[in-house]
Amino acid sequence: MSETSKFTEDILKSATEKAESIVREAETETQRASDEAKVTISREAEAIVRSARADADAVKRRQISEARHRAKLREQQEKDKIMQDVLDQVQKRTSQLVEEETKYVPLLTHLIESGIQELGDKAAMIHLSKTDLGRNPSNMEQKINKSLLGRVKVEWSKEPIDASGGAVISSLDGKIRIVNTLDQRFEALEPRLLIEARASLFGE
Amino acid sequence: MSGIETVKVIVNAEKQASKMIDEAMTEASAIRKRIDSIIQQQRQQMLAEAKKESAAIAARAGEEGKLEAEQYERESLQALKALVAQAHAKKDATVEKLVTIMMRVE
Repeated sequence: MSETSKFTEDILKSATEKAESIVREAETETQRASDEAKVTISREAEAIVRSARADADAVKRRQISEARHRAKLREQQEKDKIMQDVLDQVQKRTSQLVEEETKYVPLLTHLIESGIQELGDKAAMIHLSKTDLGRNPSNMEQKINKSLLGRVKVEWSKEPIDASGGAVISSLDGKIRIVNTLDQRFEALEPRLLIEARASLFGE
Repeated sequence: MSGIETVKVIVNAEKQASKMIDEAMTEASAIRKRIDSIIQQQRQQMLAEAKKESAAIAARAGEEGKLEAEQYERESLQALKALVAQAHAKKDATVEKLVTIMMRVE
């Protein structure tokens, strides 16, 4: 091989190596960029899936929570219905008990006495229902605590009150009225009755 | 080979070498340009897959939530029926108890 040929061959060999190096470098560079991009895109994709999982969990939780809420509401409505039914029956039974003197008269006496005491006046007018006016008021008076009668002058109104039972105790001028009817007693006792009913019916 | 011919041969070789390097640089430039579209394509593909997976997760969760909610509703309805039956069985006794409270003189 001549010197010239060897020289030109060296030139071309060197150029080939340099050309290959340029292409290789570009390929390496792009491979690195591609790898870096893959990592970034993977993170982005993972974030999308992670967010979707969180949203999905929230949707699932919400559906179950709504079902629980609906069930709780339904349970409460059923309980309220039963409680109301029980209270209605209690009110009805109480009105019926007015007919049973042995049970009712001690209560009526108590309502009258506590009304007189609450009024705190020297005289009191007792107002009764039409049914109770049918009982002899003087008999009723005999049942009232004697020491109380010693301090307070009691008068019996002939006008019946609109109540199933109990009494209204007023000052003689009618300016102060203590309402101790069965309806009022029911209203006053209602919170306690509700607690008792809840405990008895539902063990709460 | 004369001196002139030798120079010509060397100049040609140099030209050829220069052309090779130019071509290599053009190819390198093309490779660099191509990568942008490859990355963009990769990104679209991976994100599309992620969105598809997300949609599947959402659909699955919605279905699971619906089934669990229905199961809960069924169980709670049964429990409620039992509760109501028990309460009804105790109703008369409860009414009597409350009437006693109403009539009690304290």
